[in-house]
Amino acid sequence: EMGDSQYSFSLTTFSPSGKLVQIEHALTAVGSGQTSLGIKDCLLQETYLPLTFLFRLFQVQKIQHLTPNIGVVYSGMGPDFRVLVKKSRKQAEQYLRLYKEPIPVTQLVRETATVMQEFTQSGGVRPFGVSLLVAGYDDKGPQLYQVDPSGSYFSWKASAMGKNVSNAKTFLEKRYTEDMELDDAIHTAILTLKEGFEGEISSKNIEIGKIGADKVFRVLTPAEIDDYLAEVE
Amino acid sequence: MSRGSGTGYDRHITIFSPEGRLFQVEYAFKAVKTAGITSIGVRGKDSVCVVTQKKVPDKLLDQSSVSHLFPITKYIGLLATGITADARSLVQQARNEAAEFRFSYGYEMPVDILAKWIADKSQVYTQHAYMRPLGVVAMVLGVDEENGPLLYKSDPAGHFYGHMATSAGMKEQEAINFLEKKMKENPAFTYDETVQTAISALQSVLQEDFKATEIEVGVVRAENKVFRTLTTEEIEEHLTAISERD
Repeated sequence: EMGDSQYSFSLTTFSPSGKLVQIEHALTAVGSGQTSLGIKDCLLQETYLPLTFLFRLFQVQKIQHLTPNIGVVYSGMGPDFRVLVKKSRKQAEQYLRLYKEPIPVTQLVRETATVMQEFTQSGGVRPFGVSLLVAGYDDKGPQLYQVDPSGSYFSWKASAMGKNVSNAKTFLEKRYTEDMELDDAIHTAILTLKEGFEGEISSKNIEIGKIGADKVFRVLTPAEIDDYLAEVE
Repeated sequence: MSRGSGTGYDRHITIFSPEGRLFQVEYAFKAVKTAGITSIGVRGKDSVCVVTQKKVPDKLLDQSSVSHLFPITKYIGLLATGITADARSLVQQARNEAAEFRFSYGYEMPVDILAKWIADKSQVYTQHAYMRPLGVVAMVLGVDEENGPLLYKSDPAGHFYGHMATSAGMKEQEAINFLEKKMKENPAFTYDETVQTAISALQSVLQEDFKATEIEVGVVRAENKVFRTLTTEEIEEHLTAISERD
């Protein structure tokens, strides 16, 4: 757009020690966001604390679909997340139009990560203040990826982001096993989230999304979450 | 300035501070607060009402040109709290967007979709350095075909949520505390109760009794989905009802 030409230089530049400080600050923004975590079988979970009950109607869901078999959750800045969801959905749809096949998880992750990287190098923009956990099930089986504001991404067996991330990761490391069933994974995730939870955990302040061999990513209803919470007790 | 390794620009354009904050966005919120007025929105069982102060700073001003309440389409209203010039710009763009939507898709733009569009636009200003965030909190109201009466609020950060009741501006927090108490038992307010709750919330937090010419009131109702601003006479009736009740 017209105004961009005034800012045709990158705002993310190297510091004398070789760091890209804007990206580091973006990671700080992520680190102060609500905790979210994922386990490969595949599941995303995340805490959502409504500020006052007046918000409760029309709750904005944090776990979103990118395609019928790929879901995503974030820690960090909600508005930035919406932008990435919009772009990723479009990329997935364009792939489907062109190749008549659903986009593989790795491809979608790569394209989303590319967008995030571009915002660390293009003129006049700041990096996205979100880290994403992308969970999907395609021909290669279940996959979990984490994408950071820098645009770098890795495949994970289990991961966590946001507040309380180090405790959550330690907990997950202890509990994760290769042959976990989906229900075990959900229980483990709930227990992990409970570790750092302020207040009473309930179906009103967490969201859970899961995907299994049926290749359909689904967000659980509050009733289903209550069932899992009861099993964990 | 002891701000760690901040370059100094993080206060002037929307780039991250060392703590991961966006100062320009935070300052935009301050601009909304210091605009000096408070706005309230309440959603009832089959209506939505928004109320704001009408402060005319100069007796020589044409009162009818001082307004923060704007129709976006026949069925959607927008109450803008904050910098008036930014509000006018936003309203113009929202009107255009809603009209294009109607043209492209053949049906009226739903309230929540418009609120999301406003919020997404606000997000762009928080990420691109060439435009500052708008100093406006927008409350959008309308009656949705499937979901009934809706009240949405979008802010300079790009957040937007649906509300049962909310507030913006100088006394935002006090108003929200007041409204939480009133809405606690999940009441299904009638039209009159909705309007009077909104007006009395404003009177309570500002600790003054208004004349009908000192406030603006906008409504939508399930039985008459057209967005309407109340006349001075209608406002007077509600004010009288409130004072007789108390």
